[in-house]
Amino acid sequence: MNIRIWGTRGSYPVARAEMMRYGGNTTCVEVRVGDTCILLDAGSGLRLLGESLMQEPDPPDHLQLLITHTHWDHILGFPFFAPIYSPRTALSIYGLQRTQSTLRTTIDNALSDPLLPIGLDSLSASLDFFEINHDVSFELGPDVYITSARTNHPYRALGYRIESPTGILTFVPDTGPFHTILFGDEFLVWKGKPPHLHAGQLRTLERMRRAMINLAAGSDWLLYDSQFTEAQYAQFPHWGHGTPGQAMEIAAAAGVRELLLFHHDPHRTDVEIDAITAVQQALAPPGLRVRAAYEGMVLYREEQP
Amino acid sequence: MRVQFWGVRGAVPTPSIEYLRYGGNTCCTAVSGAQGELVVLDAGTGFCQLGDALVSGPFGQGQGEMVLLLSHTHLDHILGFPFPGMIHCPGNLFHIYGPDSTRGSLTAVCNGLLSPAYSPVYSLENISARQAFHTINTQPFQAGGLTIRAWPFPHGEHMSIWAYRITEGDHSLVYITDVRYTSEQIRTDAIALFADADLLIHSAPYMRDESVQNHSHCCVEDAIDLAQAAGVRSLMLFHHAPGRTDDQIDTLLAHYRTLLAQQQSPLHLEAAREGPVIEV
Repeated sequence: MNIRIWGTRGSYPVARAEMMRYGGNTTCVEVRVGDTCILLDAGSGLRLLGESLMQEPDPPDHLQLLITHTHWDHILGFPFFAPIYSPRTALSIYGLQRTQSTLRTTIDNALSDPLLPIGLDSLSASLDFFEINHDVSFELGPDVYITSARTNHPYRALGYRIESPTGILTFVPDTGPFHTILFGDEFLVWKGKPPHLHAGQLRTLERMRRAMINLAAGSDWLLYDSQFTEAQYAQFPHWGHGTPGQAMEIAAAAGVRELLLFHHDPHRTDVEIDAITAVQQALAPPGLRVRAAYEGMVLYREEQP
Repeated sequence: MRVQFWGVRGAVPTPSIEYLRYGGNTCCTAVSGAQGELVVLDAGTGFCQLGDALVSGPFGQGQGEMVLLLSHTHLDHILGFPFPGMIHCPGNLFHIYGPDSTRGSLTAVCNGLLSPAYSPVYSLENISARQAFHTINTQPFQAGGLTIRAWPFPHGEHMSIWAYRITEGDHSLVYITDVRYTSEQIRTDAIALFADADLLIHSAPYMRDESVQNHSHCCVEDAIDLAQAAGVRSLMLFHHAPGRTDDQIDTLLAHYRTLLAQQQSPLHLEAAREGPVIEV
């Protein structure tokens, strides 16, 4: 398993000099296992990944895009992904099944007038959409298995585990912690303090927390929502993001080898991310490595079994 | 008037080191008047950077007021709207002007941008600042001491954009982006709107030999020709193509400046950069 990170930022892309070490593009990760080419989310980093794919002498002809959810920072790069304009490309797109709209319609509307002049029907690539639920597992390619889990985020989102004999990556870019608030499909009107949770909601949150730990269990790498500082979380828990400390709790409970702080806040400078990472490194239990994900970061097992 | 660019890039943000001198945030330009009026042109991701800067003033206290003029509702002109803290601060007031589309009113389009599939905000109702939406038309209107006049132009076959001329006393600037000049009548309209402007901010993402395949945008040569015909003093190239690095913009600018010098043209040519304040 070879991983390359193309976008680390949350909310919206930021072009500022003080953020260029960790990067200003929004969420996108490339995972290669043998001939299987997986793209995790289609944030603005996907544009650069597309340029890189187009320059490969023998690019993969089948690409598999796993979308955690369709907030703008996770799909903004899609219309600027060069392979979708090539008839050689076959692209399978996976995302959450919803009653409100099909995945295809959601992506098509994002690409169509009056927001963009493109639309899915004008694309040259052949596209297939696969709507999945949380808590499912399937084989995506030879020896490549995907598992999904529900994260705690407004309108619900997915986290993914990619497992192969050469590595396990768990990808959870957007989630709040599994207490305080249970996010669903309805808008949560924030009145300065969390709504009362009844016993059933508390049980659901606890089930989600355990499922998240199971999803990440024994991962080589866990890319996990670390957007907020403690102060931000106290002020904005209703936006569905978490802190590095909350990421560390899940990573430690799941016995992952390396936690990669991810989905950096659009205000967070490189120097601030350095400091936040150092704090978590000092707190990490033995055997858990902590770094902050940066654009251009490459991950693979040092010792292939 | 003072003009400051917060986002100069077209299509998609380009947050990479080789784009930062001119800037990699999408379209947003702030114009402020002598009496403190604030008029903002488009709300691409540069709008988030503007919001961060404004938070130390009245917009951080819920006492801010701005006129936001939208050229059209493509993502690179509106994506930044829902993010800045100033939008979620009760008391701030946003007068938003822009075109309706064939798919719905301006309000409906902005609501769609925030719908739960795309945004945790869900709808305009959940934005705490006061918003007053106005469908744009060609009738001039005032923002304090600034007079604003708008005019529609084509952007591709199915879409229109609106250009804005802002006048304060003897000085005028014009903002026009994502235009394609498809007829002589439309060029005549442009010259009338640009006439004798001190500053023309004009999208020009392509050079003439590059724009053959593009049916939605004009080229640098069009912008220069119309600026000269209209007696514009200074032309500011804007909405840089996402593939155009800083060094390439330098080269492009030098190329056209040489041509203008050869013609002994009085037109002053610049490329828009995020950051510096320009006096008009």
